[in-house]
Amino acid sequence: MVDQEQKNSETKSIEQLKNVRTETEDVILKRRSVRVYQKKQVPEFMIKRMLEAGRFAPSAGNCMPWKFIVIRDQEIIDGITQTVIETCKMFKGLIDYRYNGSILRKIIANIVIRSKPNDLHPVPFGGVSLIADGRLGLFHNAPTVILIFADERGIGFPTLDCGIAGQNMVLAAHSMGLGTCYVGFPKLAFENSKIWKNRLGIDYPYKFVSSLAVGYPVGKPDGMVARPTHAVDWYEGGMKKTLY
Amino acid sequence: MGNLSNSEKKKIPRYDDPSQIEMGLVQFNLDKCNGCGLCVKACPGDVIKLQDKKAKLTDRPECIACGDCVAICTERAITLVKSYRYSGRYKTIDQGGLELPRL
Repeated sequence: MVDQEQKNSETKSIEQLKNVRTETEDVILKRRSVRVYQKKQVPEFMIKRMLEAGRFAPSAGNCMPWKFIVIRDQEIIDGITQTVIETCKMFKGLIDYRYNGSILRKIIANIVIRSKPNDLHPVPFGGVSLIADGRLGLFHNAPTVILIFADERGIGFPTLDCGIAGQNMVLAAHSMGLGTCYVGFPKLAFENSKIWKNRLGIDYPYKFVSSLAVGYPVGKPDGMVARPTHAVDWYEGGMKKTLY
Repeated sequence: MGNLSNSEKKKIPRYDDPSQIEMGLVQFNLDKCNGCGLCVKACPGDVIKLQDKKAKLTDRPECIACGDCVAICTERAITLVKSYRYSGRYKTIDQGGLELPRL
């Protein structure tokens, strides 16, 4: 009898779930990358809570192949930004062939794209130019920056584990009303020069993966938007269907 | 279902050829736009500007259809019309149309 009641209430709650999203889903779906921050510093406990969310992220073999560096000194944030801007200026001069580029630049870009296909996908290509021109900020004046480094000796795909930890931190931050933005360009400050590695004491086995700008957003940037659907193959009952 | 052909793998899309690179697109409802400029600041591609206190796309909008402008707009004046697409080596594979989060 008691079992039957429990079963009924379970069926009911599953039925209810069909029409209402959970709070967790809301945070996930409404999270937008924030690029306008208030100057006000984020309370220390919130950053520590984010780090805790990252610490409890799943990783291959529980190897936890990450290192987080929290930067709340404007001087360091500005310094990294400056190095990245200078590197972007150099790259822009060498390879930006997008509009009215010389034939030489096109040839160089074609070669470099093949050696760095991910860095020179057309979108970050535009990003490099925007940063070089000062049309796109790096950390968008966020008062706190969290740098994420992967331990290269980790199991499987250490950078993936860092990404999972990063998303845990981001979702925790948005659930507390903060804004965040993944910023990958600082890679240029860590891979092409020793300055920042030395300054922050980073060496093997740590490799820059990404960083998070964290702060109080200006306005209310979080909300749901449309995204393209992606083909998902679904095998069930001996049949295959493709969902979009 | 798209895998890349050998010739596609070799071809780096050209920016100056619209058949190879199609950028994202947002539309502004100018009656609703109050010219606050939040979308201009939120845009990672610097493709929105204010003209006569109304939002407008720049001449060569390299829009990545992130929707940050749509989400930040207090007047709900912005709609995402299409996502971006590339051909060749960076060909967009197996994507459907734009959809809001579904239940």
